[in-house]
Amino acid sequence: MDQEMERDDNWKIESFGEVARVYGKKYVLLLLPALVFLGVFFLVPLLIVVADSIRSSEGEGIFFNYFAFFKDHVSRTAYLRSIRIGLWVTGLSAIISYPTALAIASMSNRTLKTVFMTLMVLPLMTNPVARTFAWLAVLGRYGLLNNLLLSAKIIEEPIRMLYTEGAVLIGLLQLFMPMMILSITSALENIPEDLILVAKSLGASGFQTFVRVTFPLSVEGLIIGGTLVFTGSITAYVTPAILGGSRVLMLSTLLYQKAAVVLDWDMATTIAVMMFLTTLLINAGLRFIGKVGRK
Amino acid sequence: MSGKIFTYVMLTIAIIFLIGPFIIIFAASFSESEVLSFPPKGFTLQWFKKVISMPMFIRSFETSLWVAILASLLALLLGIPVAYVLARFDFPGKRFVEILTTLPVIIPQMVAGLALLRIFIIMEIFSIRTTLLIGHTAIVLPFAVRIISSSILNFPYSIEEAAISLGASRLRVFINVVLPNITVGIISAFILTFITSFNNVPISLFLTGPGISTLPIVMMTYMEYYYDPSIAALATLLILITLGVVLVMQKLLGISKML
Repeated sequence: MDQEMERDDNWKIESFGEVARVYGKKYVLLLLPALVFLGVFFLVPLLIVVADSIRSSEGEGIFFNYFAFFKDHVSRTAYLRSIRIGLWVTGLSAIISYPTALAIASMSNRTLKTVFMTLMVLPLMTNPVARTFAWLAVLGRYGLLNNLLLSAKIIEEPIRMLYTEGAVLIGLLQLFMPMMILSITSALENIPEDLILVAKSLGASGFQTFVRVTFPLSVEGLIIGGTLVFTGSITAYVTPAILGGSRVLMLSTLLYQKAAVVLDWDMATTIAVMMFLTTLLINAGLRFIGKVGRK
Repeated sequence: MSGKIFTYVMLTIAIIFLIGPFIIIFAASFSESEVLSFPPKGFTLQWFKKVISMPMFIRSFETSLWVAILASLLALLLGIPVAYVLARFDFPGKRFVEILTTLPVIIPQMVAGLALLRIFIIMEIFSIRTTLLIGHTAIVLPFAVRIISSSILNFPYSIEEAAISLGASRLRVFINVVLPNITVGIISAFILTFITSFNNVPISLFLTGPGISTLPIVMMTYMEYYYDPSIAALATLLILITLGVVLVMQKLLGISKML
């Protein structure tokens, strides 16, 4: 997603040597409706709520809520679990997506390529509740896996696969892997074919070309994909709610519990802010790795 | 060469993993069994009949539909001017505008939903319905801005300049020259914002209440209490609709511009 935007930016700079300067300030007025809308209806409520969480509504002093967040066993466990599962999903999706993207990018038949790309986009566009629901039919007590294992006599009675970290991990992996595949594919397709030919003509083997040319040039796609997958995983609600339930609380499901069931606003907001800060931090970290990797 | 075979094996695994569940859901929705099971037993259409006649699903489907249509239209109304200015002009503070208009995709939606709930609903400034619409408009706005500004960028500025030098006002240029040339961009922005809003759970989660709920939220609530294949039937219907939309979008603008 980000990459698409960056490419557009570059394109703009190349094609209009100079972007039209503002003639007078009046065109900026066109921005006003959207800016006022986002400012008043989005940014301001967020800022108020965040300020509130720092201040603590019962007057225990600033950052009290945040100390409470880390002191509480349940919220600390949920936090660490979210990060752990997020990292697993990101890592596994990178491992599966990279070769998959290589296969798609190397297809010379355009129709075939379009078919595969459509298959990748379809899950992204489908209702996440519908998508996650499918896993109940696979992992459930009367689901595909249990039936298979029973009929193969590997187990004697159905085992519980739902409401485990593994179930959440599988669900999230299916939910977000398409993003990783698409961003690596687009990075691979941006590599000029000449570079590969040059490397080969200079005597590099296929493997050497991959390690020294193709892979370094596609790291950016991995980083962008990683950012999307990780952020998605630690903020997703539907999958942990359906496949994890209250046995496998993650930040998002804990946030919902605090806000909608226990009505603990302070804690809910604190969890929300922690969720946001963590995504920012990890994104910055991944971007930094990307920059170092390119040098 | 073995490398190539390996990549195709991984591709096959990825496809099975990504698409397999859809096929399972499809099969499970025709099952006669009262509990969700796979492989399915027998063949029946009763679950489809059930979901399209249940008031809770019909009402929430209507709510989702209206919210998605209104939010998409509002996002276009607010987003087209922004997209135009961002694509064509350079001005101090441009970076700030870009950041503010992408903020709703950066902030986790549950966080935004919680903030809207606390400030607008709890303090009784807006009704739940209005707040739901505000939330959805905010989260789809960035998509509208991005798709439309990239489609404006693809339309050469020199044509606009020609119209201006022939004496047309900027407004007239926009309406008569730019708009007709970015229709595809606007349509695809509408489709994408519509889908994004229609499928959304995290922002709706806190912004629904008695009598007003969106379809995905009602599906989740239903699943907590019942374990029958009716959600599978509903999911099958939604997947088929999505498939149709994806194919239309792909015809309109090709796969690469879709995301």
